[in-house]
Amino acid sequence: MKTVVVTSGKGGVGKTTTSASICTGLALRGFKTAVIDFDVGLRNLDLIMGCERRVVYDLINVVNKEANLHQALIKDKHCDNLFVLPASQTRDKDALTEEGVEEVLKGLEHQGFDYVVCDSPAGIERGAVLALTFADEAIVVTNPEVSSIRDSDRILGILQSKSRRAKEGREPVKEHLLVSRYSPKRVEEGEMLSYKDVQELLRVPLIGVIPESEIVLQASNQGTPAIHLTGSDVAEAYLDVVARFLGEERELRFVSYEKPSLLKRIFGGA
Amino acid sequence: MQGSRNATKAIEFKSGTFSATTAIIRDTNAMHLADAMHALLGGRPDFFAGEPAILDFSQLQKLPERVDWPGLTSLLRRYRLQPVVVRHLPESLADSARKAGLAVLHGDESLKTVAPPPAPQTKAAPVEPPAAAPAPSIPSTPKGSMLLDRPLRSGQQVYARGADLVIIGGVSNGAEVIADGSIHCYGPLRGRAIAGAVGDNSARIFTTALGAELVSIAGVFRTFEKGLPEAVAGKPAQIRLVNEANTQQIRLDPLVLS
Ligand SMILES: Nc1ncnc2c1ncn2[C@@H]1O[C@H](COP(=O)(O)OP(=O)(O)OP(=O)(O)O)[C@@H](O)[C@H]1O
Ligand SMILES: [Mg+2]
Repeated sequence: MKTVVVTSGKGGVGKTTTSASICTGLALRGFKTAVIDFDVGLRNLDLIMGCERRVVYDLINVVNKEANLHQALIKDKHCDNLFVLPASQTRDKDALTEEGVEEVLKGLEHQGFDYVVCDSPAGIERGAVLALTFADEAIVVTNPEVSSIRDSDRILGILQSKSRRAKEGREPVKEHLLVSRYSPKRVEEGEMLSYKDVQELLRVPLIGVIPESEIVLQASNQGTPAIHLTGSDVAEAYLDVVARFLGEERELRFVSYEKPSLLKRIFGGA
Repeated sequence: MQGSRNATKAIEFKSGTFSATTAIIRDTNAMHLADAMHALLGGRPDFFAGEPAILDFSQLQKLPERVDWPGLTSLLRRYRLQPVVVRHLPESLADSARKAGLAVLHGDESLKTVAPPPAPQTKAAPVEPPAAAPAPSIPSTPKGSMLLDRPLRSGQQVYARGADLVIIGGVSNGAEVIADGSIHCYGPLRGRAIAGAVGDNSARIFTTALGAELVSIAGVFRTFEKGLPEAVAGKPAQIRLVNEANTQQIRLDPLVLS
């Protein structure tokens, strides 16, 4: 079993959006996958996954042994081999312990899961540290702006020092950079850092670039991970990310801005 | 009254050493100091990371009648430096310092300082007992080297005590590398690099791509708010101390790697 943390330091950069699409993408590839919401207090992964009405038990119930994994895991509405472990809305943050999380992960491994995706809360405090503690791989979601890059840099440092792999001196957590909310047009106009700048500053292998698109909002309103909106640039970009995550080569798409052609400018429309 | 051993231990006292920055204050006028610090540190409010500081008055230019302690301490705190101790303070000022909540040390009471970040000054005056005549260089022979084979990220700090530091992967903005010897950085050096931390003025800093926020050798340092010189910015570079016009200065040179 592989544990993958989706993290960022900064809030609102697209971690939950990314977690939902990546766990779905892995499940679509046939892997038995679980996604855990570590954002204790702010339930939102279940909304994005569209399973909020079926939440009975949550991560903390399992940690406290008030429910077993089997009871708490919610089967995804699209994929048979995908399960959601929601966060608690009410309990206080300290209810989550390192030992508790370790138990839960062991339980998932025992049940034959191939991948566990951990949706980290923002920040660099306890919750974010717990989400990355047991990671084998990390997807660091970064928006092309200075504050997000700086926070990603911080979280990369924490990954190096606080993860189990680091503490036990094992092979370090494999790091991936995902640049999200990318607007090639604004990059072209010099209003946004390019993904190359971001990568140059963070020096982590790039796993993909997700364009800024209203599709994401549409998907979240429907309670459907964006990767399901086939044909949209966001869905395609996430499919590429999953392929690269699995070791396949994919060329970067949706990173260059094509000026509307003269015909388009004259006659408008698509 | 047995069995409550831990309950009675609300506080415990142990002796120990801690690391601190020494600020050598030559002029106590808060306005002058504010200007000097702004010039040195570029008004960056987070220049220090909340470190404790020793205020050293051994080089006072003239004896002031009184010192505006609240002004002085709040100015230092603005740069996130936390003054805790004064030393070599003229006796006439000691009482007022104590009243301001500062500990007063006299003469040669030894305070072990380890890993001193740069003190706000331009002359080479690393942390050392000021009783000694200004030694040109502290003969420190760094033994061996410390190897860091991961990038150092924002908020992280590494100190190679008594050694050179070799970093593979680069240093991010907001990270800090300190060595008693030289620093060799394979990868972009973007944070703060402090070589010769206990006074070795033959220490150097090398990098394959210079982008530092601050470099310091033996307490002499330079910041780059207005950007690095074009010849070295983003390029392989070597940084060392040279004697120019009788003062020690930081010199940045391109490093030719053929
Ligand atoms: N590629 C995108 N294009 C447009 N909007 C996006 C994109 N990705 C995310 N968003 C929007 O940004 C907001 C934050 O996204 P999301 O909840 O995934 O971020 P997060 O990092 O999980 O936030 P938090 O730190 O609060 O957990 C949401 O409103 C989401 O719809
Ligand atoms: Mg989120």
